[in-house]
Amino acid sequence: MIRLENLGKSFGKFDAVREVSLEVPKGAFLVLVGPSGCGKSTMLRMLAGLETPTSGRIVFGKDTVSDGEKGWTIDPARRNVGLVFQSYALWPHMTVAGNVDWPLKVAGLGKPERRQRTDEVLRLLAIDGLAGRYPNEISGGQQQRVAIARMIAPRPGILLFDEPLSNLDAKLRVEMRTELLRVHRATGATSVYVTHDQVEAMTMASHVAVLNGGRVEQFDPPAGLVADPHTAFVATFVGTPPANLVPVSALPPMLAQDLPADASAMYRPEDLSVSTGAGATSLAFDFAEASPVAGRVMITGTREDRRLTAVVDGAPAFAVGDTAHFVLPPKPAAIFAANGERLS
Amino acid sequence: MTTTTLARGLRLDGVTVLKLSVLALVGVLIAAPLLRIVLDTLAPDAIIAWSEVTTGRLSRNLLWLPLINTLILGVVVACGCVLIGGFLAWLVVMTDVPWRRTIGLMATLPFMIPSFATALAWGSLFRNSRVGGQSGFLEGLGLAIPDWLSWGMVPTLIVLIAHYYSLAFTVIAAALATVNSDLVEAAEIAGAKRSRILFGIVLPVALPAVVAGASLTFAGAVSNFAAPALLGLPVRMQTMATRLFGLIEVGQTARGYVIAILLIVISALFLWAGNAVVSGRRSYATITGKGGRAKRFQLGAARGPLFVVAALICLLTTVVPVVILIASSLAPSSSALLSNWTLHYWIGASDPSIAQGQPGIFSNPFILSGTSMTLALGATVAITTTVAGLLVAFVLARYGRGPLAGAINQLSFLPLLVPGIAFGAAYIALFGAPIGPFPALYGTFPLLVLAGTAYLMPFAVQTGRAVIQQVSGDLDESARMTGASFPRRLAAITVPLASRGLAAGALIVFVKIMRDLSLVVLLFTPTTPLLSVLAYRYASEGFGQFANAITVVILVISIVATLLANRLQTKSQPWLKS
Repeated sequence: MIRLENLGKSFGKFDAVREVSLEVPKGAFLVLVGPSGCGKSTMLRMLAGLETPTSGRIVFGKDTVSDGEKGWTIDPARRNVGLVFQSYALWPHMTVAGNVDWPLKVAGLGKPERRQRTDEVLRLLAIDGLAGRYPNEISGGQQQRVAIARMIAPRPGILLFDEPLSNLDAKLRVEMRTELLRVHRATGATSVYVTHDQVEAMTMASHVAVLNGGRVEQFDPPAGLVADPHTAFVATFVGTPPANLVPVSALPPMLAQDLPADASAMYRPEDLSVSTGAGATSLAFDFAEASPVAGRVMITGTREDRRLTAVVDGAPAFAVGDTAHFVLPPKPAAIFAANGERLS
Repeated sequence: MTTTTLARGLRLDGVTVLKLSVLALVGVLIAAPLLRIVLDTLAPDAIIAWSEVTTGRLSRNLLWLPLINTLILGVVVACGCVLIGGFLAWLVVMTDVPWRRTIGLMATLPFMIPSFATALAWGSLFRNSRVGGQSGFLEGLGLAIPDWLSWGMVPTLIVLIAHYYSLAFTVIAAALATVNSDLVEAAEIAGAKRSRILFGIVLPVALPAVVAGASLTFAGAVSNFAAPALLGLPVRMQTMATRLFGLIEVGQTARGYVIAILLIVISALFLWAGNAVVSGRRSYATITGKGGRAKRFQLGAARGPLFVVAALICLLTTVVPVVILIASSLAPSSSALLSNWTLHYWIGASDPSIAQGQPGIFSNPFILSGTSMTLALGATVAITTTVAGLLVAFVLARYGRGPLAGAINQLSFLPLLVPGIAFGAAYIALFGAPIGPFPALYGTFPLLVLAGTAYLMPFAVQTGRAVIQQVSGDLDESARMTGASFPRRLAAITVPLASRGLAAGALIVFVKIMRDLSLVVLLFTPTTPLLSVLAYRYASEGFGQFANAITVVILVISIVATLLANRLQTKSQPWLKS
């Protein structure tokens, strides 16, 4: 179990993380997701014990491991965590096996035990054939596997991942997602995973914390984020494609009449349809792109600085420069105030 | 069909002709002198020099004692430089020591100060009366300076370490900067203690740089002429460089050439061995990806004391020698550096009561002509070297395949392995006598230009490569896509991009020539006076003030040119970024 209580971290006057409170059970896969600079990496480094919080507490199971009020934190090595760095941080002068073995050696394990454990994790990650290679002699995806093997070898209770897939190409990224989940299940550990890619969050997480400006905007399972976004930021950040947000002032008068004037209305892409002619509940946009998605068509229109995306069963053939009329449903899925708060 | 074949055949021929002419250029400049010096010692009447030097009655004094001294210098200087340079690099790159940037900058400066300047400054402070002449400042204060601190091995070692440690610093700092702090944090998470992280992670990763730093400083120390000549020769401590100089000065050229060849072999052997250790499978090309941040090692209570140590090292090797040189160029007696200051040694007219009637350096026509000669040589070599380097770099970049290009590449970097004084000897061997219709060049300005151009070729080729990499390829091609003609591309893209880099490289070549002593000391003749050799001559004849004044002139010119070069090419010093 991991519990964060009012966790905060400031660097001088800059508050990187503010009043974060959340709790996940043992075995959970917690994803911290948000745009760059939202404080997610700082949170992960506090969990790892590499940074000391300036306020609040971190509790693993029954033990408080960091206390910002008292300004102390338990050494990274003693808090039963493992970390995969974004850069992998493989020691370049040690072979693949050496990288996995060294932490075990530092932990004081005997030689036969170390060899057995090293073999085991290298096999688990399907890199046992690379044991004698140096890090600069293997591919990026293989380096990634070595970094994971090195982390899980000492059997930590908590696995921490700092944007581990950001250096891989798109196809490898999808494969490694599956691989990571497999490792997560095989170890039975609690994982905390930092990413700016909401797709990774939605596909891997049991719990997602969406961060923005150092705060948690919403903490829910993935389905909850899409079904019931608490803020305008979450609404437009998660989901593939994410929901559309239209200022009430830009809506057709017929739809705008019962809504607060300075609010924004949220429409899900699957609730829209597209036509070539204008209607009473449609908005005119310049056709931008269309792409087939799983038997349906995703159409995007732009006008000024706004984008609108619809996912429809069939659509007229538009060319760039055509005007596409996006037909809105009678009621928006949600309404957000100007400050991003959800109204209904 | 025929036209393409013809065109291809012609183009191929053009390339081959270009390659052959470049090969001929580096061949004449670099390979020919080195070949000639070997052949000279193998001539029937000279070959006996080999046995005289290595096994003969005089071999102990000719070769073996100087060899032992040279190796002691090399080994101790390499160790000292790696320790001091490595310590400073660690402080600057990996810790939270205060004033890191300033220390980092200061630590690169000693290499800019010529080693004879540091040696002269040492003499002004530590000379004792053993060899006669003026005594130094400290003895003037009433301290008894023992011989071992005034002359011979110990002061030579100290001066060379003070000069070369910045080379080790630069190499090691650059390597440490690539040690991602993630590597250290990953070890912390594994539970390793500080000492274990240092010995298990940081040092092994930095090892190639440490080895490179050691072999570079070793090669520098064994080929250095100025320091052992100024501090060792007065008490008959010979190194191979000073022995080589002495033999050629007295006309025993064959023996001198043998020593030169052996010196080249020793220097090259260690550079090669260092390279062999570093390259290969465990070259540790750092794995870089996204991420990685600099988290500095907290020094805690040691922060203050370590800063003081670093600051002392930097001050003692940069500011202090320069201040001493300036002071002693003004003081009539180096035993009283701070009293009776006079500008006599700078501008005074000849006065029989002072320094045997030597006029001040700016009133001495010989020194004035030496100044203009030195500046002219610096400027000429800067231009010839840059042009030649660019040509070689261009050929290697565009047509870098095949045995011809391989030979050009190898030859143009060969001077890196050759000590300056041995290179000078090789130039005497080749150009000392007329070749066919060409007159002997010994004692002429062109000889100095040729030798300087050849000696600095590796540096110029590197500059040229960097410039070409920066300019050619995508940038030129994208300009071509717009339909710009070749002259237009040259004027709008290539020249603006290349000019700064080339100018900065040329200025650095200029500085290197200005402060060089070892290459030109053998090529010096009264018709081609050069400042560094004049300073050396004055110093060895006991006119310390004049030597120091000339050295200050060299320093000022070098510093101005270096600053200019730095401005042109905002130097990238990645280890200084936080």
